[in-house]
Amino acid sequence: MDNRATVSPQSSSQSSPQPSPKSGEMIERVWREIHLAGEHFLTFFRDVYSYRGYIVQSVTRDLRKKYKRSSLGYLWSMLNPLLMITVLTVIFSNLLPRVEHYAVFLFSALISWQYFSGTVSECMSSIRGNMNLIQQVPMPKFIFPITIACSNFVNLLLTLVALLIVTVVVGRPLHWTVLLFPIYFIPLLLITLGLGLLLAVSEIFFEDTKHLTKLVLQAWYYLTPVLYGPAMLPEHVVRWLRLNPLFYPVTQLREIFYDGAVPALLPYLLSVGVGVVVLAVALRVFYRNEDKFIYFV
Amino acid sequence: MEQEVVVGESNGCAPHPGEQATSRPPALEVKNVTVQYRAYKERPGTFKEHFLQFARTGRWPKYYSRFEALQNLSFTVEAGTSLGIIGSNGAGKSTLLKTLSGVIRPTKGEVLARGKVDSLISLGAGFDKELNAVENIYLYGSLHRIPKGEIEARVPRILEFAELEEFQEMPVRYFSSGMFARLGFSCALDMDPDILLVDEVLSVGDARFRQKSQEAMQNLLKSGRTIVVVSHGLRAMADLVDRIILLSKGRIVFDGAPDEAIKIYLSEDYEVALDGKRFVESTPSSGA
Repeated sequence: MDNRATVSPQSSSQSSPQPSPKSGEMIERVWREIHLAGEHFLTFFRDVYSYRGYIVQSVTRDLRKKYKRSSLGYLWSMLNPLLMITVLTVIFSNLLPRVEHYAVFLFSALISWQYFSGTVSECMSSIRGNMNLIQQVPMPKFIFPITIACSNFVNLLLTLVALLIVTVVVGRPLHWTVLLFPIYFIPLLLITLGLGLLLAVSEIFFEDTKHLTKLVLQAWYYLTPVLYGPAMLPEHVVRWLRLNPLFYPVTQLREIFYDGAVPALLPYLLSVGVGVVVLAVALRVFYRNEDKFIYFV
Repeated sequence: MEQEVVVGESNGCAPHPGEQATSRPPALEVKNVTVQYRAYKERPGTFKEHFLQFARTGRWPKYYSRFEALQNLSFTVEAGTSLGIIGSNGAGKSTLLKTLSGVIRPTKGEVLARGKVDSLISLGAGFDKELNAVENIYLYGSLHRIPKGEIEARVPRILEFAELEEFQEMPVRYFSSGMFARLGFSCALDMDPDILLVDEVLSVGDARFRQKSQEAMQNLLKSGRTIVVVSHGLRAMADLVDRIILLSKGRIVFDGAPDEAIKIYLSEDYEVALDGKRFVESTPSSGA
């Protein structure tokens, strides 16, 4: 809980727009918010733990459904990105001839982006999609977004296998830093889950959240260093790109897969902090509205 | 669903089957429960409409009026007894059942449920039509937080009760509605609920299965469990329940013996009676 407590003040000052006149009151208020965020995280972890059986069952169900009736089965989750990589590589490796092994360069960032955008958009409709269940069984509703984050994670692991194969095939050495993946995946997971929960709430109340998100994701894709790397851009542009909360998670994951370097610690901690704040705000919003979902089908 | 909807003195009072019903606190306590719905005239729908309204009036728009689906209900259900809920459409029966199950949180008042609550509100919620019967049992069981090993032991029993052993490999999608209902009913029954909430499913399956499920519910009652039923099938209900609550417009009109409740319900002048406040004071009854 400690690292959470240290970053949460930002969340509280964001979620309480009206400035309080006295600083003493302000501090009290901030303290209350931190306390509440801590409580939310506790409930969150407790609920996830007590529904772990259901999460596992749902994830296996999702995967089974996805691949059951296709003849190539699990191979699809590797073929899909491979095909995309091939096309993009053919074009961009000519545009950006300075990049060595462009396929690996691209792939190592594309997996992060695909995890993010796929999970966020699926989470968005997960509450409405499970309304039948929500109306019958009292349960914490964020279990549905969590399930999606988990299924997509399994898919991501399958794609990782493809990435490693591609790396070897193009003749690039495999670095030990690949093993750091679970650590450098954390900020991406936190931000993805937080945003997914926020959008899930928003989608219940405003159906056009879907359309807006699609638009925003499209722009966001180009603002995230996936097709290109920050080193290819002048510093005054990169400075602005760093404001993108996905900038560090995506580039750092690329560093461990493509460059074989251990990413810098400070940006890492920063993005974990941002992730915790995003998730804290999301949980706050989610818990506050959870009981109303049932009236909005 | 191990739930203490409101933490009271009820902690640690989990009922044990076979205990004397009289020595235990009631299985369900409903205290002054009011459920307020939002009745939407027009759903806000889009951001644009929402913000335009805000820009025009300076206030966030309210598209709904509140109405009370349940008004200040209070009653208790003793463990080992069964309660029926009847009333015309829109009287608040399903809302009451959902409130008891914890799906809807009461706007005012509290519901105290002692023990594991399971509800059969719409059959097959928690099932996935693409999966086969066995997979669905696992899914359903895990939703009720039953460990995997324990579910494994239950699977044959559930299949047997549902009479679906031959079809266990078939995706539920291809099931007839009767088969589907049987599977749902058997699962819910096998979760060992302390309190079983049933909505309109007394008519599940054919006559034989109906007979069987009635017996199963009787057995639940005998072992000290509690059942709350909502139904329009008055005769089937009267056979099962010890006591009936008659609802009208979200209020209790009558609470007592099944025969009498049905008589009042069929006489159809109870709604008038409600306005004249004749039956509003419910007869306190603790069931059989």
